[in-house]
Amino acid sequence: MDSSFKSTTLISIFLLFFCNAIPSIAFGSSSTATTMHTNNWAVLVCTSRFWFNYRHMANTLSLYRTVKRLGIPDERIILMLADDMACNARNKYPAQVFNNENHRLNLYGDNVEVDYRGYEVTVENFLRVLTGRHETAVPRSKRLLSDEGSHILLYMTGHGGDEFLKFQDSEELQSHDLADAVKQMKEKRRFKELLIMVDTCQASTLFSQLQSPGVLAIGSSMKGENSYSHHLDSDVGVSVVDRFTFYTLAFFERLNMYDNASLSSLFNSYNSNLLMSTAYYRTDLYGRLLEEVPVTNFFGSVMETIHTDSPYRAFSVKYSKSKAEISLDQSDEVEQRRLKISDVPQELIDSNITDKHATCPVTRIWNAILGRIEMMKELDSLVNYGLILMFLIVTGSSWFSS
Amino acid sequence: MAEISEAPSTLDPDFDQENMRKSKPGLKRLTLSLAVLFSFLLGLPFLLKSIEIYRSPLPFREIDDLSTAFESSPILFPCHFRAVFVNFDPNSYTADQLSISVQAHMAKFAAKNSLACGTCASNVTVSVTLDSNSNCISNGNNVDWKCGALNEFKFAEKHEDGLLDEYLASLCDNNSGAKVYTVVVVKTEQEEVRAVVGKYRHAWIMGRIFEEEAIEKIAEIFVNVFVNGGKEEGLIHGEFMPLGADGRIVLSFNLLNADPHNWIYDWDFQEIDENLLSPVIDALKPLADVSVESQVLYHTPKSSFSFWDDRLDSYIFSTKDLPFFVNSNEWHLDTSVAAGGLSKILQFVVYVPSAKECPLQLQLPNGEISTTNGFISPMWGGIVVWNPSACLMDSKIKHPLRYKISSEDSRKLFEVFMGQLRQLFGLKSDGLFVGASGTSILLASERGFSEWELDVLSRQHSCFNLLQCGTTLGSLSRLVQSLPRMIIMDDIGKQVKYSLEAARLTLSNASLGIYDASAESSRQARLLAEDAFYHPSMMSVSYYSFEHCFAVYSPFFLPVLLHVLLAVLREWKRYKQESKKYYAWKAKVK
Repeated sequence: MDSSFKSTTLISIFLLFFCNAIPSIAFGSSSTATTMHTNNWAVLVCTSRFWFNYRHMANTLSLYRTVKRLGIPDERIILMLADDMACNARNKYPAQVFNNENHRLNLYGDNVEVDYRGYEVTVENFLRVLTGRHETAVPRSKRLLSDEGSHILLYMTGHGGDEFLKFQDSEELQSHDLADAVKQMKEKRRFKELLIMVDTCQASTLFSQLQSPGVLAIGSSMKGENSYSHHLDSDVGVSVVDRFTFYTLAFFERLNMYDNASLSSLFNSYNSNLLMSTAYYRTDLYGRLLEEVPVTNFFGSVMETIHTDSPYRAFSVKYSKSKAEISLDQSDEVEQRRLKISDVPQELIDSNITDKHATCPVTRIWNAILGRIEMMKELDSLVNYGLILMFLIVTGSSWFSS
Repeated sequence: MAEISEAPSTLDPDFDQENMRKSKPGLKRLTLSLAVLFSFLLGLPFLLKSIEIYRSPLPFREIDDLSTAFESSPILFPCHFRAVFVNFDPNSYTADQLSISVQAHMAKFAAKNSLACGTCASNVTVSVTLDSNSNCISNGNNVDWKCGALNEFKFAEKHEDGLLDEYLASLCDNNSGAKVYTVVVVKTEQEEVRAVVGKYRHAWIMGRIFEEEAIEKIAEIFVNVFVNGGKEEGLIHGEFMPLGADGRIVLSFNLLNADPHNWIYDWDFQEIDENLLSPVIDALKPLADVSVESQVLYHTPKSSFSFWDDRLDSYIFSTKDLPFFVNSNEWHLDTSVAAGGLSKILQFVVYVPSAKECPLQLQLPNGEISTTNGFISPMWGGIVVWNPSACLMDSKIKHPLRYKISSEDSRKLFEVFMGQLRQLFGLKSDGLFVGASGTSILLASERGFSEWELDVLSRQHSCFNLLQCGTTLGSLSRLVQSLPRMIIMDDIGKQVKYSLEAARLTLSNASLGIYDASAESSRQARLLAEDAFYHPSMMSVSYYSFEHCFAVYSPFFLPVLLHVLLAVLREWKRYKQESKKYYAWKAKVK
């Protein structure tokens, strides 16, 4: 009798563990140090639709305009927008999208090439763009054709939360999906370096599961914080830009193609009092120092150029011997822009979260429990133990109740 | 629980009601509960079959073996070398001594590389032939050198290098089997020593030269020219392999008129394509499937700035402006409709400046003016600035005239493009090799690439493609194993199988030394591996994970299963108890 009980327990344990998918954590090693940086790509995603999310589309279009102005061509920008603002019936300024109440800049003016619009902006399409698994008929303009020398800027804005990002009010992108897609991109060497900028509520949780090297990520707020819009345009009737993007654009409006401001100056320009949230960035997966990386490495267009020393004179009849006197120091000019600043790196995490307002004991205990759970790393095994325990309790209770 | 037992008529002191019973316990309840459990378990295979997904079986073990094999041991090719000494004294050195000496020098040059992937295997044998007026001595078994063949050739007279090249090609040409790299050293009375590498697989050194110097030069030509392709290091980096994942390259030729208000230029691209470009495409056939497009664009100014220089009498832009030259907003170059999703497009641009910036010259950092006026960007393409002759005229015509670029100018432009294409593939555009022991002239071929250069490219591309194939298949197998509930279609299984076959074929071709066939099959292997990896059905977001499946089905079956099992156990326990009671009574009665 006892043995049969034990066997039941064993079978249940076996069943539960058998149904756990064992994730594979091995990823291939790639030598990014030796590859040359050949081009820049930008993937700009606006995940909201409907009129009251005007500011998200304005965010994305402002960043699109910035990267185009700094030199990335349309063929290397993937723009995903719901695109229902400019011709919306509620838009008082038809075919115009502004990001400031002074209406100085019409973002939808000319030369806007939207690659995925309307209902095509889905989690599946987004992950297909990142991993490169398209149907054969998808045109080149909708594909991310990066190679192992590409630097990719990935900008996402919309409504988000703890470890997720909401897509078009109907589905969600989980942080582990994003981490998985980035891992596959790294294995297939689809990028040399990746900069992820997220402007949503609790943005920094979205890239918490990333583990691939060569990735730099910045989010507009930390876990538990909201990201706020900048100002309301009373003429248009909705908020027109978010704070994080507003200050990012303010930084870039001062730059042109030839400038070499560094990424650390961009990241340090965010003031948490003005943002009303803490802009958190993670550099643990990124190998280089932020002071040495110019912003044009991600936001502008870089072309490594090599001068052509001489033509290949195969197509004329005579071979001339005078070619032997060509001076030999004309070979291999490689242009690179490097910035060397010897500043001490500064971290942006300056908010100390103390529970000043947890005077009620129940709340305090609950917060303590939550904090304890946060610290535990193996949540999966805890859940498994809980399930087994539950099963045993049910078995035992129904046995003894009869 | 109703138990059928006889009510005792008298209280038998031996009969213990608790521990004995007079009748055998019934089996009905036990069989009933067992039957329910059994039918439940019988349905389990049907349930599993209904939620089964189709996964085409992939050879994971083979994939792992292959990818580790590629990464651990670099793929090396067998190469054959031959040195011919003409008009040398056969008594001073024997052929064996010369051979050993050449091999030693080659090992010294090759040691710097430490056996990069795609180079020649380290155990090379050099066969040496001494051809003098009297006789021909050689070491090594296969002697293919026609003795005295060069006697008719009068070296004292000035000959075209091309003629000598063709003559040597006819001598050395043996299509049977492996390819041999030959260096012919001819001792003449000329003071100046000239080293020339031909378009095929041979080179020659002429002049008043002694054996030691000759050996040094021969070894350097063998290692740094024939094996490494004219460079010191043998490995070509990834940014100089502009190959699409489907093995296709599209060459897009664009003629850009910056300001059509001044002049409009057109070109006869058909002629260039037929006469000049098709041999090049033919030469590149084992490496890639090349297709060509061309277009003429108007109103395409550049986005960098230039300044007028009085001394040079032209507008100057420097190498610092080169990264900003391409104006991506106005230059709509990527309009190819023929290129598939995985092909690589290389852009070749002829920029005709406007009258405001004409003539436009490129100034190098050392102050000199560039002779080609062109530059490349790796993995993107190349640009040449061509100043029209109408530039120097002062007329202001209301309606701009349409001109056509003359065929002579087109030819010159094409020569620069050819140099740029070679640079994009990692070779040099000029015709000189500067080594430790002197400078050699590299002859140019009408096919754009010499035979030995194509060999180098084939070897490097085979190596690169096989490594890519190995890593792709490895990533694929890891991905498939991490998602046990993802459907793997038959297509993917077949592509993986054919890719592995092509990879094995490449390895066998490489061991035999057939460079172009191994490049071809390595390209096929990579193409199939990439197609399998990028199959659109393998999106993890579309499939349930195992936990999801468990969570969906368990609320239906687990509670019922639990109760059925418990019922069976309870009945079994009861049966055991009752039969123990019965046997106790039986023993007592006896």
